[in-house]
Amino acid sequence: MRIYDHLRFSFMCSPQRVRGTGHRVAIVGAGPAGLFAAGYLACMGHEVHVYDKLPEPGGLMLFVIPEFKVSIPRVKGGTSELADVFNVKFYTRTKVFGGARSKEEGDAYVTKEVELKDLIKDYDAVLIATGTWSVGKLNVPGEDLRGVYSALEYLFRAKAARLGHIPRDEVPQLRGRRVAIVGGDIMAVDAALEAFYDGAGTIYVFYEGTIKDVPAGEYCIRSLTDRGVKFVELTKPKSIVGDRGEVAGIELAKVDPRTREPIPGSEFLVDVNIVINATEVKPTPPVANGYLGIKVSGDGRIVVNERHVAAEKVFAAGDVVLGPTRVGDAALDGLYAAESIHEYLLYG
Amino acid sequence: MGKKIILIDLSRCIGCRACEVACEKFNGASKITVFELEDVLTMPLNCRHCEKAPCISICPTDALYTDEDGAVLLSPLKCIGCMMCAIVCPFGIPEFDELNKVMMKCDLCRDRRAMGLLPACVATCPTDALVYGDVNEVLPRKREYVAQKAIILSKEVGDVLLK
Repeated sequence: MRIYDHLRFSFMCSPQRVRGTGHRVAIVGAGPAGLFAAGYLACMGHEVHVYDKLPEPGGLMLFVIPEFKVSIPRVKGGTSELADVFNVKFYTRTKVFGGARSKEEGDAYVTKEVELKDLIKDYDAVLIATGTWSVGKLNVPGEDLRGVYSALEYLFRAKAARLGHIPRDEVPQLRGRRVAIVGGDIMAVDAALEAFYDGAGTIYVFYEGTIKDVPAGEYCIRSLTDRGVKFVELTKPKSIVGDRGEVAGIELAKVDPRTREPIPGSEFLVDVNIVINATEVKPTPPVANGYLGIKVSGDGRIVVNERHVAAEKVFAAGDVVLGPTRVGDAALDGLYAAESIHEYLLYG
Repeated sequence: MGKKIILIDLSRCIGCRACEVACEKFNGASKITVFELEDVLTMPLNCRHCEKAPCISICPTDALYTDEDGAVLLSPLKCIGCMMCAIVCPFGIPEFDELNKVMMKCDLCRDRRAMGLLPACVATCPTDALVYGDVNEVLPRKREYVAQKAIILSKEVGDVLLK
C-alpha cells in the first residue's frame, strides 16, 4: 500500500549537524528498541553497527506485525535512511551468541555466527536488544500434530512471504479452514485478523480470562467480533484431537471466573483443523545466565540496572529486558539505553 | 505559506505510544496523548492549532499567536499563567508548567520545523496514523489513501466479504 512517508529512527537530529566522535557501538537486534537506539547514537556522532539474524533490519515491526497495521515501505524507508544518510552498518543474517545458542523463530536465515565476547572486544559499547522470539508451549496432549502453529510462526511466515524471502506455499494455508486461536494478547488479535484476511472459514479465539482482562484491550477484541470472529472467554484448552496426524478438533474446559481453575465435567469439543498457539511470547537473550557476568532471570529477561547496564560495556534494552510490550515502550527503552551509552562513551 | 497540520488517521493508530515517546524525548514533556477508548479505538490527540483559536482570542496578554505555518504558539515571557486558554480550549490542551508558572502547549515542533524536520510524533509513528503537511495537500491525500485501501481490500478479500 502507498505510504505518506517513511519512519525516522534518527528523529532527534538532522543529518547535516552530526559530528563524528570516533566511538564505535554494536547493537544486537534490529527491532524498534535497537533501531531507535541506533538512530539516537548515530545522531550523537557515534559509529553504529547493527547485527540481526534476519535478512533485513526491522524486527517484529517488519517481520511479524501484519502489513495492514505497519506497512513494509514505512519501516524499510526508515532503515535505509539509517544506512544511507547516517552510515549505520547492518550485518544481517548474523546471529550473536554467548555461552549457549538458543533456538528461536527466524534461525533458518542465519548464515553467520558471531560470539558476543568478540563484539565486546571490537566495540566501545554493545547494546543487546534481541526482543521476544520464542513461544511457550500450550502444555496439552496433541501439540505436535500437523496444523498446530504458534502465532509468531504464522505471522512471521506470512510476512516473510510478503517480503519475498520464502515462497507463498510455505505459509500455513488457512483459506476456508476452521481456526482456533488460543490466547488474548496482541499477537492473538493480529493472528486472527491475518487469518480473516487470508480467508479462513470460521475463527475462534479462546481466552482463559474474561474480555475485560484481555491484554490486547477490549477494543481489539471488538474489532475481531465485528468481523465475525467468535471470541470465547473463560475457556482453557485440554487437548488437541488428532486424526491421522492432523488436527481434527480441540477439547476445551470452562474456567471458573473466580478461581481461574478448569471446572471438571465442563469439557466440550470444537471442530477445527488449525490450532494457533498465541500464548505470551518469551524474551530470547543471546546469552546464557552468567555469561561474562550478564544475569538472565528465570523468565528469560536480561537483568539491568537503572542505567541499562547488564555488564561491563554491555547494555540491554527493549522487550528482552521488559518482556513483551508495544512498539512505543520498546522504543523508549531503547532511547534511554542509547542516552546511557552516550554518557558512558563520553564520560565513562 | 499555507497552513500546516497534523492529520490523525484513527483507522491506522495501533496505540503503540511511539508518538508520546518521541515528543517527550524531544520536548521534555509529552504534548501528545494516546487515549484508549476501551471498546472503540485508540486515538492520539495533540493541539489542533485551530484556525479560529479561542485561546488566542481570550489571552489577555497576547501571549498566544500564530506563526507562518499556522501553528499556535505561546510566548512564555508574556504569559501570566491565568489559564484562560486552558479554560476555553475545547480539547483541554494547554497545560500549566509548575516550574516556570506559565502555560505550555504543543508548538508543532517549531525547532524541528526550522531545521527542516518533521514534528517528532509524526517522524516516529510506525503506521502513518499521524500525517504532517500543508492542509491542501494532506486532506486530498487522505481521500486518495482511503480509496486506495478500499480497492486493495476488495481485490484481496472481496470474496471473503461477500460471503
